Amino acid sequence: MGNPLLAFWKNIFEHDDADRRIRRATFRVAAHSAAQASATVFLILRRMRVPLIVLIVIFSVSVLGLTVIPGQDAEGNPLRMGFFDAFYVMSYTATTIGFGEIPYPFTYNQRMWVTISIYLTVIGWAYAIGSLLALLQDRAFRSALALQHFSRKVSRLREPFLLIAGYGRTGELLGHSFDALGRRFVVLDRNSERIDGLELDSYHADVPGLAADARDPGHLAVAGLGHSSCEAVVALTDDEEANLAIVMAAALLRPDLPVIARVTSRAIAERMQAFGSPATVNPFDRFGDHLRLALRAPASYQLMTWLESGPGAALPDRGSPPRSGRWIVCGYGRLGRELTKDLRAEGLEVTVIESHTTDVENADLLVGDGSDPWVLAQADLDRAVGLVAGTDNDTTNLSLVAAARRSNPGLFLAARQNHAASAPLFTAMEVDALLVPTEMVAHEVYAQLSTPLLWRFLREMPAMGDEWAAAIVDRLKGLCGAHLQTLWKVRLTPQEAPALGSWLASGEARLGRILRNPEDREEPLHAIVLLVLRGHEAMLAPDDDDFVLEAGDELLLAGWAAARRALDTILLVDGVLEYVVTGRRVPSSWIWRKLSPAVKSGALSDAPGPGRA
Amino acid sequence: MNLEKVVFGFFVVLAATLNFGFFIGDIDNPDLHNPYELFAAVVVNLIATVLKFGDRTQIGAVHLATSLVADLQLIGATLMFGYATYVSTAGMTDAWTASVVSLSGGALLANIVSVVLLVVETVSFHRG
Repeated sequence: MGNPLLAFWKNIFEHDDADRRIRRATFRVAAHSAAQASATVFLILRRMRVPLIVLIVIFSVSVLGLTVIPGQDAEGNPLRMGFFDAFYVMSYTATTIGFGEIPYPFTYNQRMWVTISIYLTVIGWAYAIGSLLALLQDRAFRSALALQHFSRKVSRLREPFLLIAGYGRTGELLGHSFDALGRRFVVLDRNSERIDGLELDSYHADVPGLAADARDPGHLAVAGLGHSSCEAVVALTDDEEANLAIVMAAALLRPDLPVIARVTSRAIAERMQAFGSPATVNPFDRFGDHLRLALRAPASYQLMTWLESGPGAALPDRGSPPRSGRWIVCGYGRLGRELTKDLRAEGLEVTVIESHTTDVENADLLVGDGSDPWVLAQADLDRAVGLVAGTDNDTTNLSLVAAARRSNPGLFLAARQNHAASAPLFTAMEVDALLVPTEMVAHEVYAQLSTPLLWRFLREMPAMGDEWAAAIVDRLKGLCGAHLQTLWKVRLTPQEAPALGSWLASGEARLGRILRNPEDREEPLHAIVLLVLRGHEAMLAPDDDDFVLEAGDELLLAGWAAARRALDTILLVDGVLEYVVTGRRVPSSWIWRKLSPAVKSGALSDAPGPGRA
Repeated sequence: MNLEKVVFGFFVVLAATLNFGFFIGDIDNPDLHNPYELFAAVVVNLIATVLKFGDRTQIGAVHLATSLVADLQLIGATLMFGYATYVSTAGMTDAWTASVVSLSGGALLANIVSVVLLVVETVSFHRG
């Protein structure tokens, strides 16, 4: 959301050297694109030359004719029209307004000339206006205007923003999650329909969008790659080469920016790693990892998917995939390969069904169309425990799932959904694990960019074990209900938590003491601490009563928005902290504090705190 | 020979010569300044301005600027002329004539700059 105060602050005070260096680095590419835009405007001016000259000539000839042709006044005396009269008459005649014969009725000579000039001038105007309208409809002209409009909007952004290159389904999901967090982003997509669709999407903030090829570094620069407020670049196009080009441009022009790219092949991912160290998200690889996690620790998997889905997400069901037995993987494409490898790594037996003969390493391959009942029968479904419908065709996947369920209702079913349009069908099918590559990528990118602490939490969480994760899920469920509330970060620095200074220094700053309701300290705050980051060390879900906070800690909290506001008050206002920790109401104004000498500053850490409610 | 260049040069020079023709003569004698000549100067100047549209070079920009100045001055002169003839009860007095002619003199200066630019452009082209 646009915050004018923040923008003002940044405008006035934050013009440092780094800004200038960044600008210089990308100036050239941006200038190239800007020159392209102005070239079109010059072209339009050139094209208007002929219509304008035709109009001027017709007009001047008609006016000149009127002044030269003899007329007469009301009494019949010979009179020639002056230039002003002639110009006036021609102006209203040419524009078809027609006030009549002014100042005196015309002679036949004059009327003949006016008749000729009427036809001439109407043609002249029609030509000029027609050319102008044709130019306004001109594709090149419109795109030049759009480019100018877009670059003006981007350069006026003063808040941190995200550059999303490729606004497909994934970009849209990511955009909505970020918009819900109140963060800004800029969109670049080759498809102009997607960009037009931006206006129909209900975003809170204005989202600048440009229909242009993101492979061109000039377009990236116009979209804010060189902007000092750009905080990250996300390459989400459906073209691997294009994503690689975006990663290259970002790494070479702005080496300091974090880059996240979507990839589906390992070769491209490795080529990307040559440019800095961009984070790559491979939906098939991640699905394999998730399935492994789900096999090993269902609760950890449940917690991970819940937190990754963002605020407002419903608690996903805890699946229980079979941990031993034989799996059937239909479709040996990118997904099939990853899954087969991951399942084998878990010590499971895998049968692959694929319509083309491919070289499957040390496996049990069945060549044939998976949706063919005969082929499925060959795969011996009755003795399998799980089936993955992983082809790139939604109809095939759905029919595979239906056929498998009919012959063995106890099967664990995993399916891949390729198109957003098939979502209701897959929902109705109620498969046990569903891979939607676009959503997978959007969730991953969201987890990495929304708060770095959340990403850290998700990476370290599986190591804590399944029971621990189940406990956290229960606590979160007790706190938030079935829908995830907000996740936020608090930094215990003098800037962000000025009230905590002396209390933190006392060494007695137990976490449970400040997580109380500032109105009534007997009630706990509806929030839990998921992670505390101290230096490089991360502590996951520390125990409220024992954990001692230190200055500089970063906290990741989950809970209600009201709890977030309450905690902010506690961190900012001295009196509220005093009440929450000691139970004493402290006057908040300076005069009352002077008048009540009973309260001493040292009282904070000595007073006995309340037990946990 | 480039026809576009011929047309361009023709209009730039014609604008200057017509302007000069109107300007020359006693500054306060209305008989020596023909209104048709002023009209022609305005029209030709407008055409010259439109011909200069859409040139991206530095010299093209200065060309356009001088033409716009000349247009402004000449249109000012015609407005004063019209006011003196149609609105003012005194008619075309010495003072009004002098104002009209001096405005067109300013336009003449701009037109001369324009011609000089044309010559400079041509000469530098031959050297290059």
